[in-house]
Amino acid sequence: MDLTFSHRFVKVNGINMHIAEKSPSVAGNGAFDGALRRPVILFLHGFPELWYTWRHQMVALSSLGYRTIAPDLRGYGDTEAPESVDAYTSLHVVGDLIGLIDAVVGDREKVFVVGHDWGAIIAWNLCLLRPDRVKALVNMSVVFDPWNPKRKPISTYRSFYGDDYYICRIQEYGEIEAEFAKVGTERVLLELLTYRNPGPILLPRGKSYDDPVSLPSWLTEYDVKYYVSKYEKSGFTGPLNYYRNMDRTWELMGPLSKAQVKVPVKFIIGDQDLTYHIPGTKKYIQEGRFKSHVPLLDEVVVMKGVGHFLHEESPDEISKHIHDYFLTF
Amino acid sequence: MEHRKVRGNGIDIHVAIQGPSDGPIVLLLHGFPTLWYSWRHQIPGLAALGYRAVAPDLRGYGDSDAPPEISSYTCFHIVGDLIAVITALTEEKVFVVGHDWGALIAWYLCLFRPDKVKALVNLSVPFSFRPTNPTVKPLDGLRKFYGEDFYMCRFQEVGEIEAEISEVGIERVVRRILTYRMPRPLILPKDKSFWGSKDETIPLPSWLREEDVAYYVRKFEEKGFTGGVNFYRNFDRNNEMLGPWVGCKIQVPTKFVIGDQDLVYYMPGVKEYIHGPNFKEDVPLLEEPVVMEGVAHFINQEKPQEILRLIVDFIFKF
Repeated sequence: MDLTFSHRFVKVNGINMHIAEKSPSVAGNGAFDGALRRPVILFLHGFPELWYTWRHQMVALSSLGYRTIAPDLRGYGDTEAPESVDAYTSLHVVGDLIGLIDAVVGDREKVFVVGHDWGAIIAWNLCLLRPDRVKALVNMSVVFDPWNPKRKPISTYRSFYGDDYYICRIQEYGEIEAEFAKVGTERVLLELLTYRNPGPILLPRGKSYDDPVSLPSWLTEYDVKYYVSKYEKSGFTGPLNYYRNMDRTWELMGPLSKAQVKVPVKFIIGDQDLTYHIPGTKKYIQEGRFKSHVPLLDEVVVMKGVGHFLHEESPDEISKHIHDYFLTF
Repeated sequence: MEHRKVRGNGIDIHVAIQGPSDGPIVLLLHGFPTLWYSWRHQIPGLAALGYRAVAPDLRGYGDSDAPPEISSYTCFHIVGDLIAVITALTEEKVFVVGHDWGALIAWYLCLFRPDKVKALVNLSVPFSFRPTNPTVKPLDGLRKFYGEDFYMCRFQEVGEIEAEISEVGIERVVRRILTYRMPRPLILPKDKSFWGSKDETIPLPSWLREEDVAYYVRKFEEKGFTGGVNFYRNFDRNNEMLGPWVGCKIQVPTKFVIGDQDLVYYMPGVKEYIHGPNFKEDVPLLEEPVVMEGVAHFINQEKPQEILRLIVDFIFKF
């Protein structure tokens, strides 16, 4: 199995973006380079991950003929992390992706998109703002949450879950970074990557993280080392800034009020995912409101016994779901 | 004509509405430094023809709310208000007519929500400030091109132009701007010479009555100019966040009209843009641009019947 990925940097939307790519190897005489005309899948990772989270899908799908591209999103990994906290709204990140698609695929081209966690949120916004650039979307873990003028994000979270809710704790610039530094990068990543509690993530101050953490079967020592080395180098601030811009993004997304997602979508979620257990989510999916906001929602898959990082936990199934869906276009 | 408040994007927006409640909506967007009132001639005409004319005061102006933060005046906030107004009144697409800042906002409205706009008539301002690479700061470009005394540059320093307007007097400022007919960019030397001396009267043209000026003056005295000026203080911020729309075309049928004495027509590059291939490339459904002879910037007030005719003849097709 060819596990090599090609890496490069692309200047997009004012930042230097690192991307990993894996394309089908061209067999035959090479005179006809099919790689440029292969369908492209853009993979969008979440928190606290990197392009690397898509390694299994990139291997599987490139061998099936897709050109797979996975960036480190702005603020993450080897991609530039602008200094200003304000530079992390969804508008900035979607701007990066439009710049990326223009640069590496073509400025009239559409791509397939796969998103997970924050990458799923960004993917929903990409589809709202530029449906003309997305052929179809496989989104995972986070349902589409339509813009609501009455629900400013952080105060909503605070009243639902309290001040210890992780998103509320992240708000104060620098504060949670200092706490993470005390706990240690590796420990922070392990706590988050192995989280399997269906309830909301609470980070009470002064909690100790001393108990040993055992790695699940789908996470190897090598994987952990990779994540740790990148997060030790670039830190958590960039990724955390996304959460610090939830209110600002909400303020700026007023123009998208009552807009539907007009892109064909397949949605996948694990029944052990904490997002599946957010009150109201199951009903939202099952009783039709999800579909009313995403009229081209073709299929919802609920995977039994699977948690939040479903594409790392059950990589083959996820790759098959992606291929089966994109094949229909 | 009724006046009411509609909830915008977190603030209250004052709108003037006239016409049958089931009539197709025509959303009329004013510019600087005017108000909903600049559409006073078109509103009854549209209503009489069965349209529902809806003319808001944009955020920061007139009887609409003016939030204190400068960063609350991005194009996203303003378009957010308009989407809220539209969706409060109808589920259908609407016609949009824009002038000056209203035209620029209308371009963005069409970029962000082409699903909400049936057709567009834009006056005076072509698709400038379209999204470009954010490493290019629009304000730097304006400074380099026109100098520090260009009015948009003079509007940047918080409180500065407000103090100057206060000193010169709102009435003089309004009269001077509405009657400006120089076919060149608006330069405001720091010595305040642009406004003329206090004993120099500024006569009104035939198309502007004392009571019209009095209405504007009264409203700007109540509200101040900061709200309207804050629109100009967000060029760089807007461009930083317009990344998703770099290279995106306006996919709405559009009619564009400008007066050949409009100062905008004499901004470098504008004539070439309007008459060359680029405008049509950016706005594929653009009809042949109309240049009205002998007309200056405040075209919908200067030639109200002609503009009403142009609007109606165009939107009638949809």
